[in-house]
Amino acid sequence: MEEALRNEEFAAKLALTYAELFDGISPVKQRVSLRIKDTLLEIKNVETHAQMHWSLHEMREVPDHSENEAMIFAPDNVGTARLIIREVRGLAALAESGAEFRPLQGPPGQFRRLGIMAVLAAASFVGLLFGLVPWFADRAAERIPPAAEIALGEQLYNQVYTVQGATDCLAPEGLAALSRMENRLTDGVDMDLPLTVRVVRDPTVNATAITGGQVTIHSGLLAAAETPEEVASVLAHEIGHVVNRDVTRAQIRAMGSYGLVGLLFGDVFGFSATAAAASVASQLIDASFSREAEGRADEFAHAMMEDAGLPPEAMASFFGRLQAQRGEVDLGALRHLSTHPDLRDRIAAASAAGDAAVRSGPPVLTDAEWQALQAICGAGPAQEGPTAGAEK
Amino acid sequence: MAVLKTRFGGDRGALFLLALKTGFLTLVTAGIYRFWATTRLRRWYWSSVRPGGAPLEYTGTALEKLAGFLLALILLAFVLTAINFAGIAVSISAMEQNSWAFFGAVAGVPLAILPLIFFARYRARRYILARTCWRGIRFGMTPGAWGYAWRATMYLFLTLATGGLLWPLMTFRLEKYLTDRTWYGNARFSQHGSAMRLFGPLLPFIACLWGGGGLLTYFAMTAVDFSATVPAINPRAPAWPLFAGMALLSLTFLFALYYRVASVRVLVALKDLGDGIEFDLWPRTRRIVWIYFWGYVRTYFATGFAYNVVFGFVFAVAWVFGDLDASQMQGLIENPPANLLVTLAVLTFLMVTLFARVFRQAFFIYPMVQHISETLEIHQPELLGGIRQRDADSRTDAGGFAEALDAGAAF
Repeated sequence: MEEALRNEEFAAKLALTYAELFDGISPVKQRVSLRIKDTLLEIKNVETHAQMHWSLHEMREVPDHSENEAMIFAPDNVGTARLIIREVRGLAALAESGAEFRPLQGPPGQFRRLGIMAVLAAASFVGLLFGLVPWFADRAAERIPPAAEIALGEQLYNQVYTVQGATDCLAPEGLAALSRMENRLTDGVDMDLPLTVRVVRDPTVNATAITGGQVTIHSGLLAAAETPEEVASVLAHEIGHVVNRDVTRAQIRAMGSYGLVGLLFGDVFGFSATAAAASVASQLIDASFSREAEGRADEFAHAMMEDAGLPPEAMASFFGRLQAQRGEVDLGALRHLSTHPDLRDRIAAASAAGDAAVRSGPPVLTDAEWQALQAICGAGPAQEGPTAGAEK
Repeated sequence: MAVLKTRFGGDRGALFLLALKTGFLTLVTAGIYRFWATTRLRRWYWSSVRPGGAPLEYTGTALEKLAGFLLALILLAFVLTAINFAGIAVSISAMEQNSWAFFGAVAGVPLAILPLIFFARYRARRYILARTCWRGIRFGMTPGAWGYAWRATMYLFLTLATGGLLWPLMTFRLEKYLTDRTWYGNARFSQHGSAMRLFGPLLPFIACLWGGGGLLTYFAMTAVDFSATVPAINPRAPAWPLFAGMALLSLTFLFALYYRVASVRVLVALKDLGDGIEFDLWPRTRRIVWIYFWGYVRTYFATGFAYNVVFGFVFAVAWVFGDLDASQMQGLIENPPANLLVTLAVLTFLMVTLFARVFRQAFFIYPMVQHISETLEIHQPELLGGIRQRDADSRTDAGGFAEALDAGAAF
């Protein structure tokens, strides 16, 4: 052997190692010998002596292979031929002679395709969630028959309030005062849907408007208000939501985009996490629409107060006092912060509208009526009750 | 006659490390890395299945999977929106009669997605086959996802409508549809036989389902008094039909699994490739039940153990380096601040998810793949010599539909 290696001509003929080859054309296993020729790997079938040459530089190793006793190589990133080398000495010799053992990667041009797809996907989702679906919801909301929407509103009210244990406040004098306030505001206003205004026992400072003209004032709000005009300004804001059909449109929007956000997350962390992530994302989208709706309802309320000859800045003074007393964060839970525009903006808007306003009319309620309204849930402070409803 | 037996190689420890590494990266990248994780795990599993000593190879790439997912997202977003809009339009016109129809039409939307799920499964199978090589030759599948989707939907309704009796028809016809479109190189697979061969393995399932259902109906008719406003149970009526019925119904799950496994054995034995290469696959129901049971038990306990070890370590580090004395530590434990609680809850969720996934790979999927692949035999392998390479199938969504609809495979 030593004699043979000293003979350069003979040494050059010796194989580096032997290996198995699948040529990528037929599934027949070939026994091959390997030799290095400059920057090429010569692969020679031991039976037929057919040869092929792989570039040592282009050659790739197949990654994440579970077998420890062998390494598998491809001619480049595209070729399907596979060379299986099982001898450790052969692998070492191959490494010494300049093979880089870089891992196999996909064919070129994939990043470009990925970039195009990412841009298209982002554009599609923005277009659908903020364009087509809201547009469709606006059209669809107008086509819902009023009688059906009212029936739906009753069901929703039961789910949001009655089923949760909230009870209506029904003191007759209080109801009369409430009705007087409602009539004063809506006098001469063309309403598509009849209003149903209620007071419920609930200590939170809140009021809601849901589908079908259902407006609900929480007793906590009556307790926090100092003048009937402050309550009237909140009521006008909620009537604004009813006239704009904000809640109905939001519901149709939610149905129209059902499942869309969930697609984005696919099978990431299992079902519950996907659902949670999708619901958080949906809330963020809702909040952006909601801020817009709140701004419109505020403008509506100012106009309504002015038309009724009431001071529009009542809302500003009410919110300003609440902010001073409670601080912004304490004013109801997170849902207030997420769905209501910044309080300071609302106060500024209310004050600006008030400056230019003509305040000519009589007070919205007499002192006796105001006391009756505040006592609509019975004497004493607002009782403990469930906090319910999405503030609108 | 020559037979190629299949060896399953690959070390469970190596798989564990790979699953841990890729699972961790998936969590910290908010799920983006999952395309790389799936690709790497597939490469590993494919290479550990070695019919006749030559490993399978998975040649898919993560980038094409991500691009395919985005393509599927775009198409599905428009399809879903159209389905939603149709549902809303129908419900609004139905509202004239009944406001509950509003919710009814919305509930119909998931049903409209069913064919899409079958469509996605076909596409995912086509992608996986197009990215699988053995002995340097590609597998492949000809197009036909829509044909599969409507057939599968129809057979599913037929099976449900006949109380499971026509399940073999669904199994056979769908398997034939898939097999007859599957290729290895330029050789095509064919499914022979008929659905009649599958009724035998279905018998125990049908007996339990119908027997259990019948006993419960009998119990309801004899022991329950429906004439009262609130149906009441007559305490003197014999209770054995209730318990026997429940016992039989609980056995249906076992026999459903038996049917699935037995039908795989029958159907694989009746497939051939090209000029007469034949196969056998002999998974055992007993073994699979054991892998399910023992796999989930071990996953559960290992996850709990790993979680406790990591948290114990975190607390020990906080104690030693956090400069807290014992009373401060006790105060933290007895009256934890809200942000600490939220952080702990999120960390717990992420860690349990990660460990559960990793241990599931090691204790459940690994033995399952091992058991099934080791029972694969290939007959007349000398006929492989006549097969030649096929062209690469680049027109594929890379399983993106299955990914977006969450109708994917186990890994």
